[in-house]
Amino acid sequence: MAERMAFSPVPYTRRRRAVKFMLPLLGLVVIWQLVVVIFDVNPRIFPDVPTVLRAGWGTIADGSLLGHVTASLWRVTVGTVLAILLAVPLGILMGVSRGVSSFLSPLFRFFAVLAGIAWIPIATLWFGYGFGAITFVIFNAVFFVVAYNTLLGVSTIPMPIRHAAASLGTSRWQLLKEVLVPGALPNIVTGIRTGMGFAWRGLIAAEMIATNTGLGYMLFLARDFYRTEVIVFAMIIIGIIWLVLDRLLLAPLERATVERWGMVQRS
Amino acid sequence: MKNLSLENLSKTYFDPYAGTTVNAVQDVSLNVAAGEFVAVVGPSGCGKTTILNMIAGFVPISGGRVLVGGKEVKGPGPDRGVVFQSFALFPWKTVAENVTFGPKMRGVGKAERAKIAEEYLALAGLSHAADRYPNELSGGMQQRVGVVRALANNPDVLLMDEPFASVDAQTRMTLQEELTRIWEERRPTVIFITHDVAEAVFLANRVVVLSKGNVLEEVDIDLPRPRSWDRLVEDGDFKGLSNKVLQLVRSA
Repeated sequence: MAERMAFSPVPYTRRRRAVKFMLPLLGLVVIWQLVVVIFDVNPRIFPDVPTVLRAGWGTIADGSLLGHVTASLWRVTVGTVLAILLAVPLGILMGVSRGVSSFLSPLFRFFAVLAGIAWIPIATLWFGYGFGAITFVIFNAVFFVVAYNTLLGVSTIPMPIRHAAASLGTSRWQLLKEVLVPGALPNIVTGIRTGMGFAWRGLIAAEMIATNTGLGYMLFLARDFYRTEVIVFAMIIIGIIWLVLDRLLLAPLERATVERWGMVQRS
Repeated sequence: MKNLSLENLSKTYFDPYAGTTVNAVQDVSLNVAAGEFVAVVGPSGCGKTTILNMIAGFVPISGGRVLVGGKEVKGPGPDRGVVFQSFALFPWKTVAENVTFGPKMRGVGKAERAKIAEEYLALAGLSHAADRYPNELSGGMQQRVGVVRALANNPDVLLMDEPFASVDAQTRMTLQEELTRIWEERRPTVIFITHDVAEAVFLANRVVVLSKGNVLEEVDIDLPRPRSWDRLVEDGDFKGLSNKVLQLVRSA
């Protein structure tokens, strides 16, 4: 342990990491304000920082922002949880049976590419406008990516590890529980992280088309009223929510399990 | 511990690149008595790892039989413990959980498993590392875990596939000395695959030299025990036997 410490660079504290992360973003805000003031940009094309903050405060004060954020997060949660619950068992099943996996693998690759906003038109035909269609789009975005990554995770567990388990007397069920699921976990977590990234993008697009609440709708509505400052504010909120989700939920999930086992490098 | 016998064991496979069938192992017969330590040496491609994989049940047998305690075996099973060159520890389990994996699969309870972990970690000098994860250990420590993980499951025979080939030279000598000590204490039946002649002579009661899928010769190693490198490195008998085996391997 002492040896490892001596060779690693000075460990960053949490706060230093956060500052390092925030600094470029703050720099961007400063440049934004300078450009708008120096070139006297038309506020309808791009408003300055105080205008956006005021508009943002307005949406917070009248409760509309909270309504949109809640609607968006609820859809993402429902779609993602459903997708994970179905995709992980299916991915493992595919990984266990070579026949099933070679048959389904091309389909999954195809739909993993297609997943996302390409499904919006047909989703609205099937589910109508609103919660059903949007959750379906989210589900699709997460499901195929997680299923494919789970399959990948199971099928890339090193042969000696499977052999070790077999020669220590595992039954089929024990192999699944003790080896295949934990062995595939790094890929499953990666799949969830990637899938949720797609889902969040798909969600915003879907909400512009297929609903009357949510952050995407907030963007779209503001455009109709030429409220550029609300558009910019909503875009910032969309980015911030994703960063918070990823860094406070998904990254710690990865750290708590997978990095501890040394199966992926800390990113 | 039981005896192990190979009866006319053969392995042929189709080489899709050459478009021909290859006889990796031809008609190998070998008896390993209960509690005997047999090392199998030979140049790369002589079929030694294929033989071990057939005994372990990891690859199908083309011809012949493998018997453990007189009973024919098919497929992998807990009667044959395996130690792998790549260690093959479960990265998501602690050292103690790795060591007690076999007993857990057999349904041994938690309290009993804790006792087993304590006993075998002490045997490997790893009591302090019980709650660590494999990636936190050095290669040498990982393979100590690999060895006692196999032993803790009480196998009838222990199969070791170049277990010390991927650790540094100093660690390898330490591990070899520890393995002889453990073998002298517990007397498991061992088949030990290696390409390192000195390692084979140091560890074994008998060295089997393989060549092109056949047994070329068997050499009895009657060096006294306990064995240590300090004593054997300048020992005339050890040098003589090592030279004899080396000549055989080079002629193989």
